[in-house]
Amino acid sequence: MRQRALAGFAAAGLTLSAVPFFGLPAFYESFLYLVFHWIVLAVSWNIFSGYSGYFSFGHGAFFGAGMYTTATLATKADVPFLWTLPAAALVAALFGIALGAVAFRVRRLRGELFALLTLAVTFVLATIVLNTPIDGGPGLVLSAVPLPAIGPSPSSTFYLLGLALALATLWIAREVQRSKLGTGLFAIHDDEDVAEVLGVPTYRYKLAAFGLSCGLAGVAGGIQAMFISYVTVGETFSIAVPLYVVLMSVLGGSRHWFGPAVGAAGVTALLYAFTAGDYAVAGRAAVGLILILVILFLPEGIFGQAVRALERRRVSVAPAIDAAELPAPTAAPPAEGKTLLEARGLSKAFRGVQALAGVDLEVRRGEILGLVGPNGSGKSTLINVVSGHFRPDSGRILFEGRDLAALEAHRIARTGLARTYQIPRPFAHLSVLENVALPAMFGRDALPRAEAESEARRWLAFTGLAAKAAALPGELNLHQRKFLELARALASRPGLLLLDEVFSGLTHVEIDDAIRLIRAIRAQGATIVFVEHVIRAVMELTDRIVVLSYGRVIAEGDPRAVMREPDVVAAYLGKPHA
Amino acid sequence: MLEVERIRVSYGAAPAISEVSLRIGAGELACVVGPNGAGKTTLINAIAGLHRIEAGALKLDGRDLSHLPRHAFCGEGIAIVPEGRRLFAGMSVRENLELGSYRRAARARRAESLERVCEVFPILLERLEQPAGTLSGGQQQMLAIGRALMARPRLLLLDEPSLGLAPAVVLAVFNVIKEINAGGVAVLLVEQNVALALEIAARAYVLEEGRITAEGRPQELLAQPHIRRAYLG
Amino acid sequence: MALPSLTLLGQSLLSGLFIGALYGLLGLGLSLSWGMLRQINLAHFALAFLGAYLTYQLAGAGMDPLATLAVIVPCFFALGVLMHWLFARFSVSTFNSLLVSFGLTVIIEALIQWLWTADFRRMESAYGEARFRIGALYVALPELLTLAMAVALSFATWAALRYTYLGKAMRAIAEDAPIAAAFGINVRALSLLLSGLCAAFAGVAGLCLALSYTLAPGQIYAWLGVVFAAVMLGGLGNPLGPLVAGIVIGASEALTMAFTAPAWAPLVSFSLLIVVLLARPGRV
Repeated sequence: MRQRALAGFAAAGLTLSAVPFFGLPAFYESFLYLVFHWIVLAVSWNIFSGYSGYFSFGHGAFFGAGMYTTATLATKADVPFLWTLPAAALVAALFGIALGAVAFRVRRLRGELFALLTLAVTFVLATIVLNTPIDGGPGLVLSAVPLPAIGPSPSSTFYLLGLALALATLWIAREVQRSKLGTGLFAIHDDEDVAEVLGVPTYRYKLAAFGLSCGLAGVAGGIQAMFISYVTVGETFSIAVPLYVVLMSVLGGSRHWFGPAVGAAGVTALLYAFTAGDYAVAGRAAVGLILILVILFLPEGIFGQAVRALERRRVSVAPAIDAAELPAPTAAPPAEGKTLLEARGLSKAFRGVQALAGVDLEVRRGEILGLVGPNGSGKSTLINVVSGHFRPDSGRILFEGRDLAALEAHRIARTGLARTYQIPRPFAHLSVLENVALPAMFGRDALPRAEAESEARRWLAFTGLAAKAAALPGELNLHQRKFLELARALASRPGLLLLDEVFSGLTHVEIDDAIRLIRAIRAQGATIVFVEHVIRAVMELTDRIVVLSYGRVIAEGDPRAVMREPDVVAAYLGKPHA
Repeated sequence: MLEVERIRVSYGAAPAISEVSLRIGAGELACVVGPNGAGKTTLINAIAGLHRIEAGALKLDGRDLSHLPRHAFCGEGIAIVPEGRRLFAGMSVRENLELGSYRRAARARRAESLERVCEVFPILLERLEQPAGTLSGGQQQMLAIGRALMARPRLLLLDEPSLGLAPAVVLAVFNVIKEINAGGVAVLLVEQNVALALEIAARAYVLEEGRITAEGRPQELLAQPHIRRAYLG
Repeated sequence: MALPSLTLLGQSLLSGLFIGALYGLLGLGLSLSWGMLRQINLAHFALAFLGAYLTYQLAGAGMDPLATLAVIVPCFFALGVLMHWLFARFSVSTFNSLLVSFGLTVIIEALIQWLWTADFRRMESAYGEARFRIGALYVALPELLTLAMAVALSFATWAALRYTYLGKAMRAIAEDAPIAAAFGINVRALSLLLSGLCAAFAGVAGLCLALSYTLAPGQIYAWLGVVFAAVMLGGLGNPLGPLVAGIVIGASEALTMAFTAPAWAPLVSFSLLIVVLLARPGRV
């Protein structure tokens, strides 16, 4: 597959580079250079913002950083033009990484706030450049800088440089999309917190993608500096770059590496057509209108819609899995002692409400433990704390002897612990198959994609979802989405599985199905803790239950016996008015 | 007075409650009990106008309300004390109460209603100007009930008023509910605390998996194994 | 670096006060729609400029600039209602409202350029020339008018939200819209009303722009960053926030300009914005 793509790129590159040698008028070469230029800007923007959903309105800042790096080095330090380009990339990338290092640590700085931050950064940079000796006001003139003769004419040279950079950017975008980094970014796009809990190192990935995106924009800026040969702050840091890259990517489709290129070519051609016809102003209005229409009606972009259709076909044409071929037993480490998980004195409060008030709990290897209690007793909070969604206020959680409270959330996934969510939280834009493959890629075993997908298919067969592998989670009913949660939790081959109200909302028949499934999972060797209200399931499945009330454990032991204890009955049904 | 006839409410594709029918006479106190996830909140929210009813009818004194816009339900005399209180946390106690009487019929008698509510809940009188979010759980519950009373409802809906409250506070709240009902307001109570709910209700319904599985007088229901089985297996 | 004289300092601070008031006026509508309607209306700036150009046009036709409000306010109110209706109809999320309004900004800017070209336009009016003297300091009438309107509108809005029943209902909607509806509040109607008001405020801001400044289409974006900074520093949805924060920013800028070069001024607001975003994100 890769060889073919590489060959494709090479062929395109060779064909296109031959163009200048056919005597094309300089005007067209310049136009095509501009198309390549916008392709680079849009595709590079998309690598971070499109894939991860962190829309940056500051692409202009990094583009400008690159532009001024080249301009400064070429005019003030007499650095040969081509050598300034790597410098431009470096400066822009470092600048982006520095910004990201701070911004990504702030958990709530997402969505529109991140967009505003990046916009503000652009203005700050523009002001600094304008007021310091970097520019100082008059701008920088590069007409005296020698341009290497790569092509038969100056415009050909820019054409070729632009082509080379565009091909490189497209290749990088393609590679990122297909890599583990890309999958992580797409997961971050849909649900960053869940991605983190499943093992995706979100901070690192965001920094990497952002740096890459900024670096490429920097090189584009460097080349552009030479092209226009007169660099000013006003032109460089104008609103055009941020606006157009967003438009081009959204129009073409931000979930695919090629989408923004389609958008870039289309919008550039459109704007040119309007300008040539002396309707430049109308052209800009059209751009604005198109952006609005695309946001409202074409969320996946033009190219994106087409790609989605192709993707479905690819995933559903799958090797048939023998339903009897169950996955290998979960990798259970040699049994060292009976206790798998131990919680001691766990406490957690939320805005004055004490959800957990000193919980002591022990989970034994190989058992199915039921966690029950009336509404508000702290069951879900307990799962959230153990799985790393929340940090406990006090207490310890020892999993196979290791203290979980000390680990970063994405590392907990690697220890062999997995959970499902009460209200299923699948990655909405990833197919069912991709949803299940992700934990296999980022969990304890860290499988390569192809193996992860095979593993995922086996788990889908196990949970009865094989036919839905190509579907999006939104197309599944509640029962199927719960099973998707289950398959996703199982895909990382956990030693301990935490299930949060798997049975709620299911019909009688579906509950029977689920009970059978959970028994099969235990037979694999997993230990299961499940929070539940559906008493029938609790009675049939559990070896032992723990009852919580008001954040404390009030009873523990054999299911039937415990549910008859007066304290437990009172907790559920309430005490009659004495 | 209130007749719910075979309504169905869904979240997305699957129905949360279906074929649910119940009736409440004027001045009656009825309760709906059932395990978690049965659809109790969905039911009460539908009666309050917070959810669209897809099938069936919701009639108040014979008038079908199911096609009215959300904000018209209150005008009909229905007020809700939602699960989790859902007060206007950033606004003061007084403002919360004032907004309770937004509907036209209640607006005219706002001052009088405020006085009455403060009599029933003296604690609110003390904290009139405090932001609602700073009250304790029990006080917030009082405020939520007070807010609903300000609407001078004919039918008061309560969704799990005991949730998150200490037992002593729960008793106080239930006493208030009894008093309100004694004053002539019909009450529909959805509750997890079965014992208390059955103690004060004149009629009870059991909701399991989105359907009514039992109905009758509390004493009758307690004698049957239904409820115990639904909750405790 | 020579220290500026006291008079110069005073004059600087005064002009900082006035420009701060304009920031506040521009930010009022933006803050309300973001904080209470959860919609980030980037087009607010373009609307203000449209209002400015309309004022210029009508004044050129002989109308008294202040009287143009009689035309502009109702028209813009209608525009605001229409915009919110659009956002509600398509269930546009807060983030997407940023993008859609970005598109609207571009359209409006293009419209302005088409109607009035990119040439600089300066409204000539009796108000523009009038100046007062307070001690050693000069005050231009347009600036005073701007301050007056900013203060009046901000306080009126604050008072309405705080003391009128309708205002409290609007705040309730911002807190918990479905429950507000459950108590009889017509969420739809009030939201449309609020959106209309925000657009009307933009129109008033436009009048003030036309009175004091030279207009050019590209200028729309010049105010973006600093007004957003004022809005966020002042706290979303707080009617007095943009005014207070705007004045603080304006004064800081003025001082910066007095002590260093004028071109450094933008750094103040944007840096403040960055700091606020990093230190207190979320609903600020």
